Parts: sequence; structure tokens; C-alpha cells
Amino acid sequence: MSVPAIAARGLEKRFGWAVALAGVDLVVPPGSALAVLGPNGAGKSTLLRLLAGLARPSAGSVEIAGRRAHGREARAKVGLIGHETFLYPALTARENLVFAGRLHDVPDPGPRADRLLAEADLSGVADRPVGSFSRGMAQRVAIARGLVHDPPVVLLDEPFTGLDRRSAARLAERLAALRSERRTLVLVTHDVASAARLVDSAIVLARGRIVYRSDGRAIDALCLDRALAAADAP
Amino acid sequence: MNAFLAVLWKDLLCEWRSRDRLVAMLVFSALVVVVFHFALPGGAGAQTRANAPGLLWVATVFAALLGLGRAFAIELENDALAGLALAPAERGWIFLGKWAANVVILAVVQAVTALVFAVVFEVDLLPVLWRFAGVAALGSAGLCAIGTLSAAVAVRTRFRELLLPLLVLPLLWPVLSGAVRGTAELLESGSLSFEPVQLLLVTDATYLILSFLTFEYVLDE
Amino acid sequence: MIRTSGAALLVIAALWAWAVVAAPVDSMQGSVQKILYVHVPCAIGAYLGFLTTALCGALYLRSSDARYDRAALAAAEVGVVFCSLNIASGPIWARGTWGHWWAWDPRLTATLLLWFIYLAYLLLRAFTDGSERTARFAAVYGLLGAVAIPLNYFAIQLFGGAAMHPENLRRGSLGEGMGLPFALGMFAAAAAFLHLWLLRIDLEVRRVELARSLASGGEQ
Repeated sequence: MSVPAIAARGLEKRFGWAVALAGVDLVVPPGSALAVLGPNGAGKSTLLRLLAGLARPSAGSVEIAGRRAHGREARAKVGLIGHETFLYPALTARENLVFAGRLHDVPDPGPRADRLLAEADLSGVADRPVGSFSRGMAQRVAIARGLVHDPPVVLLDEPFTGLDRRSAARLAERLAALRSERRTLVLVTHDVASAARLVDSAIVLARGRIVYRSDGRAIDALCLDRALAAADAP
Repeated sequence: MNAFLAVLWKDLLCEWRSRDRLVAMLVFSALVVVVFHFALPGGAGAQTRANAPGLLWVATVFAALLGLGRAFAIELENDALAGLALAPAERGWIFLGKWAANVVILAVVQAVTALVFAVVFEVDLLPVLWRFAGVAALGSAGLCAIGTLSAAVAVRTRFRELLLPLLVLPLLWPVLSGAVRGTAELLESGSLSFEPVQLLLVTDATYLILSFLTFEYVLDE
Repeated sequence: MIRTSGAALLVIAALWAWAVVAAPVDSMQGSVQKILYVHVPCAIGAYLGFLTTALCGALYLRSSDARYDRAALAAAEVGVVFCSLNIASGPIWARGTWGHWWAWDPRLTATLLLWFIYLAYLLLRAFTDGSERTARFAAVYGLLGAVAIPLNYFAIQLFGGAAMHPENLRRGSLGEGMGLPFALGMFAAAAAFLHLWLLRIDLEVRRVELARSLASGGEQ
């Protein structure tokens, strides 16, 4: 019985008296992929940020590979690709990646950055400032940034938002590739169809709680849709 | 340690690309010096020369406040601050990287300001140049320590430009005290006693260590 | 707890008031000297407040327990009150003895700066959104401020200079019969601080409760 990649127990997060997460229990085995769905304000992004170790839980615990998520060892194992790109517009794509690499103790960030840019099909624009990139291009650099330290756990927050068809297809390929590399994935998305195709299991969050789990069964897109509709209802 | 060098390099590189912070600080501090000249009765008289160290440091503090605000404003774009918070490094090193970048940028501004000041107020800095630079560096170190931590806090509050000076100025007294005193001694007598240097060293060390330790909590969401 | 501290305060304050009235009038300074029996204890209250703020802030950072943050906030507010009284009462004495209201000597400047630090602390709290972030930021600033106070005094010692403000009290430096009111004043200040601090914490607890029930009541 290996240590789960992600384990949350009674996880709560409050901002003042607004409750973002009201007790979440979650176990994600290593190498699997989980989709997190739910209406806006359900707490999906908050959950992801707690997993990434950006904030302390108000109550309960969350661990990455057995280590407290809000700690240095756990952060070294997690790559977050969020709503924002975390990139500096004045720096080039390559410089952004080298900086992120150095920040994450990557031993030889230069060649690593080049390799990641090649994988993302961005070698041609590696030396252009990120501020001049289109949304799709910036997204690809952001993904490379999240992967620069080769993290076993990858968290993605609505990565398909605002992408055109071609970029979305490219992203889906990228995610499939990550899965084949046996990384653990957590994907927050509104897109039920992509979710069903890309992941092993899914949960639906509403008002800070898990209201539906696919629980290891094959993902039934219909069930998921119904659960989402129920969650959306006031 | 990697994080310290990485952040220092990144900040200086970003600044070099746009140079907006540097230019704004330079223009501002030169303006302040000139405005002082107009505002003080009698211009470059003996009375003014006695007040020169204080005026010089006030101009420096104002310019620094301008620059410090910008130092963290760039981290808000694209939520880069979260990008820093994700790093597995000891967060205090990230603070030191930002601090060092601020000190370097402020040093350039200080050099130009001192020059403008020497010319406008007819003060002769050459005989004491190196020791003056030392005092200026120590003063800047303390100012940037308080300022960098306060800016990191202020940038995520409402009215951040307003709050930053309110947070920084009350804490600055020991730094200003030592720096102005040291500068005054150099200009008056050409020699520097140990007391101001001692005060600056103690203050700088205290604020740097405290900021290093508490930055952990500032980077949390 | 509050009732006990309130009772203790009443007793000590009564004793102190009697001692102040009964104390001899200073031969040189006249009866204006008696304002010092208020001025000095207020300084004690201000220091207690600030130390408590910093300490509770540090404890909050380690434990993330909101109770420490409430205690820190209460201590800061009560401390500001004492500090304000300290700064207001000083000039009354100064006018009566030195002849002018204020002097920019180190002790006065340091106290004024302490007041500004407190104020900045409270403004920081007011301008930060989110109770957890507010608590964290305030705790960090409270620690910075706490460090500033000894540094200020270190600066004073180094640069002495023309200090108009009287030296710290030493045994025998006071006149006959003045020791008792001063000592009682210290106890009164400590008792007053404790009582006001507990009251303020209680008030904060109630305020948070009320706000929480209003917020959740509004949803239903």
C-alpha cells in the first residue's frame, strides 16, 4: 500500500467567516488523474491552492506524498498551473523558465528550459518577452513553468479556459502525455467531456463540500452532468 | 541560497529591461533636491549646509518609497507572487534577493542624488567620498530591509501606495538617526566616529534577521 | 475574569488616587508636578500594550489561533489610548515647569514614534481584507514595531545630546513621600491595562459572533 500522492482529511478553509472549504476528504493514488468540477465559488481553486501549499488550512490536514502540503518538501513535488501564468512580461520565455528552474533548485535550468520550450513548440520565440505572447502561447509557457522541476504531482486550474480549438487539442495531448509519464494529475475544469476522456476519477464540489464522487468507477458523463446540474441549483 | 541569487538576478534583469523604476526614482529625487533649494530660505547658506545631511536623507527616503512600491507591484501581474510562494526554498532567501535588488537600484539613485545635492547646495563630498558611500550603504541597507518587508505586506492591502509610507516611516528613526549623524560628522569634521556606524550595524542586522524569519508568513495567501 | 480585574482595578485606583492627593506638593514645581503621577503610569500602560501586541502576534504566527490575534488587537488599541494620554499629559507638566509645551528631545521623539507605529499597526489592520491575512500581516508588523522600540532607546543612548526629559526614576531620586504614589501608579496602570484589555477582547469576541450570525442569517 503505497503512500497516496494526495491525502486530505477534514480539510477546511475560511476567509473571515466565508467558508471556502467545509470539510473535504480526498485520497488520490499516485499516477492517477482526478477531475474537480463544480459551479463557480464552490471552492475548486481554493482546494488546488491548498494542495499546492500556498495557504494553511483553517482546519484538517492535506498531505502530498505523506508530507504536509504547506511545507518545503511537498512544494518541491508539486507543479501548479493556475488561472494566472506566474510569468514576468518583461522577461523572455527562456528567462522565465530559467528563473523558475533556479527557484525550484533545478540543477541545470538552461538546457532544461530549452527542452521544455521545444516540447511546447516554442523554440522559435524563446527569446521574445512573454508580454508579447498570445494567450495560448503564454499558457504553454506557463505549463512548461509548472513542469520545470519535473514534479510528480501536477495541478491544473481550468487550463482550457480561453483557448481556441487548436490550442485546446494541443493541451489535451499534453495532458495525455503527462498521464503516460505516470504523474498524478488534478484537473479543475468546467468541461465535462474533456474531463471524462482524460481522467480516472472525478469529484464535484459545491459550497465547499464534495457532493459527488465517481469513486473508481468508470466516469459516466451523464451522471457527472446530473450531479453538476444539482450542484448548480440554488 | 539559489533562491536569493535567482530573485536578485530576476529583479535586476526586469529593471534593466524597462528601467522605469530607476528613471522615476532618479527624476523624483533630483526634483526633491531642487524643491528643497527653493523652499529653504537663503538657498545654499551656512544654515542649509548644517541641515544638508538631513535633507539628503529625506530625499533618499522619498525616492526609496517610490521604488519599493514598484518592486512588489511587478509581482502582482500574472500573480507572480504566488509563483514565488510555490518555491520549495526557504522564503527568507526570496526576501533577501528582493532586498539586495532594492539596495543596488537605490545605490544608483543615491549616487546621482548626492551629486546633484553637492552641486546645488555647494557641499564638498570628495574628501570623504568612500566613508560617505559606506554610511550611505548602511543606511540604505536598513531602509531597504524595512521597506522591502513593508512593501510585501502593503502590496496586498487596499491603498497600498498610501499605506507603505505609513508603515515604513515610523520604523525608520534609528536608521535615519545613524545615517544623518554619520553624514553630518563626515561633512563637518571629515571624520567618522564609531557610534553612528554601530547604530546602523545593529539596526540593519536586527531588521534583516527579523524580516528573513517573518517573510515566510508574508508570502502565504 | 473581567469582574475580578475590574474589582482589583477599583481598589488599586482608589488607593492610588488617595495617595496622589495626599502626596506632598513639590517645592519647586508646584502642584503641576502631580500630573506626573498620571503621565508615568500611562507610559507603563503604553509599553505593556505594545509588548503584549508583539507577543500575541508572535504566538498567532506559530499557532494560527485567532484568539491570539484578538488579544493582539485589543492590546494595541488599549496601548494607543495610554500612549495618547502619555503624550497629552507630558506637555501639561512641561508647560508648568520648562515653560514650553514640547521639546524635540530623544525620549519625547521616541514616544511619539511609538504612537505612530501603533497607529500604522491599526491602519494596516483596517486596510487589509480577510481576517486571516490581517492577523498575519499585523503580527509581522507588530514584531517589527516591537524591535523598533529598543532600537530607538539604543539610538538615544548613543547620541544622548540635550535631553530635557527627566532621567528615569532611581531610588532616592524622588522627594520625600513621592515614592508611594508612584509605585501605586505603576500598579494602577497595570491593573487598568489588564481590565481594559480583557474588556476589549470580550467586545471583539461578541462583535465577531454578531457579524457571523448576521452573515449566516442573511443567507437563510
